[in-house]
Amino acid sequence: MFDTETEGARIELRALTKHYPGQPAPAVDNVDLDIPAGELVVFVGPSGCGKTTTMKMINRLVEPTSGEIRIGGKDVLSLQPDELRRHIGYAIQQVGLFPHLTIGQNIGLVPKLLGWPAARIAARVEELLSLVNLEPSLFHDRYPRQLSGGQQQRVGVARALAADPPVMLMDEPFGATDPITREHLQKEFVRLQKRLRKTIIFVTHDFEEAIKLGDRIVVLRERSHIAQYDTPAEILARPADDYVAGFVGQDATLKRLALLRVEDVAPAGPPQQAGLPQVAAGTSLREALDVMIAHGSDRCSSPSGVLTYTALCGAVGTGRPSSPGREPEAVPSLPAPEKVVAGGR
Amino acid sequence: MAADTLTADVLGSEASEGAGVPGAPETAGASGALTAGRARPSRRAARLRLLLTPAAVCAVLAALYAWVSAQDLDSIEQRSLNPSVILTKAAEHLEMTLAATALVVVIAIPLGIVASRSRNRIATPVILTAANLGQAVPCIGLLVLCTFLMGVGFQTALVGLVAYSVLPVLRNTMIGVQQVDPALVEAARGMGMTRGQVLRRVELRLAVPAILAGLRTALVLTVGVATLGAFVAAGGFGELIINGLKLNRMPVTVVGGVLTACIAFLIDWLGALAENVLKPRGL
Ligand SMILES: Nc1ncnc2c1ncn2[C@@H]1O[C@H](COP(=O)(O)OP(=O)(O)O)[C@@H](O)[C@H]1O
Ligand SMILES: [Mg+2]
Repeated sequence: MFDTETEGARIELRALTKHYPGQPAPAVDNVDLDIPAGELVVFVGPSGCGKTTTMKMINRLVEPTSGEIRIGGKDVLSLQPDELRRHIGYAIQQVGLFPHLTIGQNIGLVPKLLGWPAARIAARVEELLSLVNLEPSLFHDRYPRQLSGGQQQRVGVARALAADPPVMLMDEPFGATDPITREHLQKEFVRLQKRLRKTIIFVTHDFEEAIKLGDRIVVLRERSHIAQYDTPAEILARPADDYVAGFVGQDATLKRLALLRVEDVAPAGPPQQAGLPQVAAGTSLREALDVMIAHGSDRCSSPSGVLTYTALCGAVGTGRPSSPGREPEAVPSLPAPEKVVAGGR
Repeated sequence: MAADTLTADVLGSEASEGAGVPGAPETAGASGALTAGRARPSRRAARLRLLLTPAAVCAVLAALYAWVSAQDLDSIEQRSLNPSVILTKAAEHLEMTLAATALVVVIAIPLGIVASRSRNRIATPVILTAANLGQAVPCIGLLVLCTFLMGVGFQTALVGLVAYSVLPVLRNTMIGVQQVDPALVEAARGMGMTRGQVLRRVELRLAVPAILAGLRTALVLTVGVATLGAFVAAGGFGELIINGLKLNRMPVTVVGGVLTACIAFLIDWLGALAENVLKPRGL
């Protein structure tokens, strides 16, 4: 259906507007947005700002009042809606697994709608169950009510991935799980997306989640107006206005530290120095700072070198008395769209 | 006089049986009652109950046979109480019940689906009022009315029976479809199912327990009400009851009443079996 069948496809929204009948103002007002192929873009904003409506226009569960949507260059509004939806993964907060179907049947549903042969569906279901860390032999024939909330969410993700769609829409998919399960699912999901490189639109009202998952974040205000569209590091370092700054909160610097890894900044030097607290190269700077504070030390050692407190501050462009005029632009810049989060808290 | 109360008892026992079925007319109004009403007792108790009904019915039939055999039947009684007459009446009774139920299925389930669509906000109250009316009007009155219009006979009885038992099936179908979690419908649409596929593969599947409960209620009601078919010359066990009353032959009335009750219980039992078999697994 789309030019790139399984790798991500580019999504373009042009002057997209939705005015629900009987409402005084449009729920989504004139949105322009480009989502590069293979990136995970998070829509974040307060409840009722139009995130869900914007997302549902892309698979036409909501028909736009006006505007254009293109996926992989194709005009979405000219396609048959049911056929279109079979080629776009869709996962929602309530999961929506069908209680009368087994896990295997739930996952195999879209392939079946697409008319895949039974053997191919069966193989795909096995593959997907393993992909989301559910043992196929254990889970294939169970019914949804026999699964925990976290397991159901994984099945929801597997089901959305079933036909290997280039684009996935996910509306607060981890919103209903407890914090521990949620964190676990987020980490798994980041790992999964690194492999799959789908184009994903992920809706959440949780800014922390947006930072952890997003290659880019779209901060939305009411009527889906875009307040800022940038990488997590940029939004944390340079919020566009007070509204975005309000989302970032008071601990922006700590959040930025969480996005960087020790190996990104540790200066050359004798690695693994004895007598210093040790951290792994993939540790986030935030966790490294935690280790330093816990040991009352101003430095710690990692396989890629010794990390000092000064270097750590320098990484986020603060506390360099030796170079007071230093602009934040001089900060070692992030490999922008590349995911750098190592799962720091 | 005694026979009169016995008939009432037969009907009464069926009515109370009906009320025990979740989604019976009395309880189907609140959608919550439907799900809550199907409180699962223990599985073993349910299984035991499944064996209980046929055993009890067999015992009652055996007792009835023994009792009738012990009676000194006069020639009038013998004309009614012999195997060929009883089998004919049973066949007529079942024929009426099953034909009426088949018609109810064909009429009430599609109407229930139509009424369940949120688009039909105007149609829903109209359909429900019509179905309510059918049940509110006393069946015997309805039969008299139908007789004026179409004369006596099987078809007249059928119209009355159908009008009477459409409501439970219609209402349970409507509620059963409406109570399906909207998130499931959204997920189904979002995956690319057409509206028809969502209805067939999700909504109706999940409404099966409610629809079956309504059908079971309707069937049991119909067995009882079919005794009134005798008034429009449609036969059935009602004829035994009425003949017994008219000719003052108590055994004939008793046999008619008890056999009707036995059929009602057996049909309710079959309904329970069908619910167990047809209910989607995983619910
Ligand atoms: N089907 C609908 N009909 C009318 N108004 C709606 C509908 N869906 C959403 N809205 C309104 O549109 C606005 C945006 O809703 P939504 O997209 O669900 O926001 P979010 O997902 O950001 O919480 C809200 O004010 C909501 O009340
Ligand atoms: Mg929402």
